[in-house]
Amino acid sequence: MGSFIDISDKLIESTVEIFTGMVMMEITVAGEPLSNLGPLQHFITGMVGLAGTQKGVLAVHFPDQVAKEVTGSFLGMEVDEINADVHDAIGEIANMLGGNLKTIFSNRGKDIQLSLPSTISGEQYSFTSQAEVDQIILPFKAPGGIFYVEVELEH
Amino acid sequence: MAKNVLLVDDSSTMRKIISRSLRQAGLDFGEIYEAGDGQEALAVLEKETIDIVLSDINMPNMNGIEFLREKGNRPGIKDIPVFMISTETGEDIIGEAKSLGAVGALKKPFTPDKVNEVLGPLM
Repeated sequence: MGSFIDISDKLIESTVEIFTGMVMMEITVAGEPLSNLGPLQHFITGMVGLAGTQKGVLAVHFPDQVAKEVTGSFLGMEVDEINADVHDAIGEIANMLGGNLKTIFSNRGKDIQLSLPSTISGEQYSFTSQAEVDQIILPFKAPGGIFYVEVELEH
Repeated sequence: MAKNVLLVDDSSTMRKIISRSLRQAGLDFGEIYEAGDGQEALAVLEKETIDIVLSDINMPNMNGIEFLREKGNRPGIKDIPVFMISTETGEDIIGEAKSLGAVGALKKPFTPDKVNEVLGPLM
């Protein structure tokens, strides 16, 4: 986890900024970083790929209920199912965090490109990488529950 | 006279957020049109009277840079100002956007106050 020591604070700062400034939701850090999440049950994940001098992926994992509340707050409307709006909103949160991660790397002389955001959701799935990666998972507490910001960086 | 705005972003969420932010910022604008990528944006520009374009960069089909390049080749629409709103705000990509005619850039995430600060003078 060594390569994350100096970027985790900035990732936390970016996540809080996005939620307070755009999602209009107060969140807090919910404990120490994790190294593994295990199977995700009734979750939705938004992610962007990193390419260039640093390969990897940034993902945000939301329990369905939290994802609906986040989307509702983001859009200012009631959301009662995991629909296209939820996928779009969660993808956009991943996209904004990816942009901030790109800036963090750019300030260290690393040139990375971001993929377009994508999302997955389901009753149960695991989020794992086949490549050798360093990984960090930051837990956050939203009013409706815990969600996670994960970064995997190839060695 | 209030200006008509074209929002170009592949995220419908972000188009709604930008539209809301324009209202919250108290800016005086007319109609808001939307497009999901550069190709759709060009079609709207050819059809409607648009005074300013707010465009993302990272989009499918035709991204913001390609949109600026193509728009610059079309005499009827090439002078409509484009302001970039994107997670991509590195000097290299914004420099390229400005070289193609973009008049400024705003980084996502943003607040209504920031929208007012940077877009107010253009409205």
